[in-house]
Amino acid sequence: MLKVRLFGMLKTLVPGGKELELALPSGTQVKDLVDALHAQYPQLGELLLQKKVLVSVNQEIAHWDTALIEQDEIALLPPFAGGA
Amino acid sequence: MAVETEESMLVRVQRENFSIDEELTRVRSRSSRIGGIAMFLGTARDRSKGRDVSAMTFEHYEGMAQKKLKEIREQALRDFDIIEALVLHRYGPIEIGENIVLIIVGAEHRADAFKACQWCIDELKKITPIWKMEYTPEGEVWVEEHP
Repeated sequence: MLKVRLFGMLKTLVPGGKELELALPSGTQVKDLVDALHAQYPQLGELLLQKKVLVSVNQEIAHWDTALIEQDEIALLPPFAGGA
Repeated sequence: MAVETEESMLVRVQRENFSIDEELTRVRSRSSRIGGIAMFLGTARDRSKGRDVSAMTFEHYEGMAQKKLKEIREQALRDFDIIEALVLHRYGPIEIGENIVLIIVGAEHRADAFKACQWCIDELKKITPIWKMEYTPEGEVWVEEHP
């Protein structure tokens, strides 16, 4: 089971909000995670495919082929809006 | 003024407001070779993309946001001819007119201080996982809601 944290506007796209759990095995790559999310949440999936939403793993931006394990801290990051 | 000067105080993400005087003292007390200090202060404005804004809330990714601000400070110290840099960002609810973000750069000379200060705020906006929700007459709006 992979846990995925959501931030900012993404919480409005997914019912229930802050965190998603996906029944994917360890060793799954980020691109497989994106496919699984796309199937369940098409709007979120599109943003991921267009790279408007980034995937981070253990607090670093991940690549499509980054492999995931259950202990990883995975998050979906919409466009940043810090500063003033 | 006695101000703590540990490195951890030079990169912070915090809910509470900050004192510009204290932060300025923190930077200038790092070295007597500093001869020019540039500062960027970002504040909450009441208008955004044609809409009135009555207040805002910043959300951050705890841990990663601090990590990115630390990277910004370290890269600024490497890439520019500067002596010290401080990077602070607030989170949580912020009223119009309040402080949001503060960058202070100390260098021997002004040109490097200005350049590094601008680079720091530009880079902060690019790589730091912080998000802003604005309260408008049409409701709550995440900035870049349609990315």
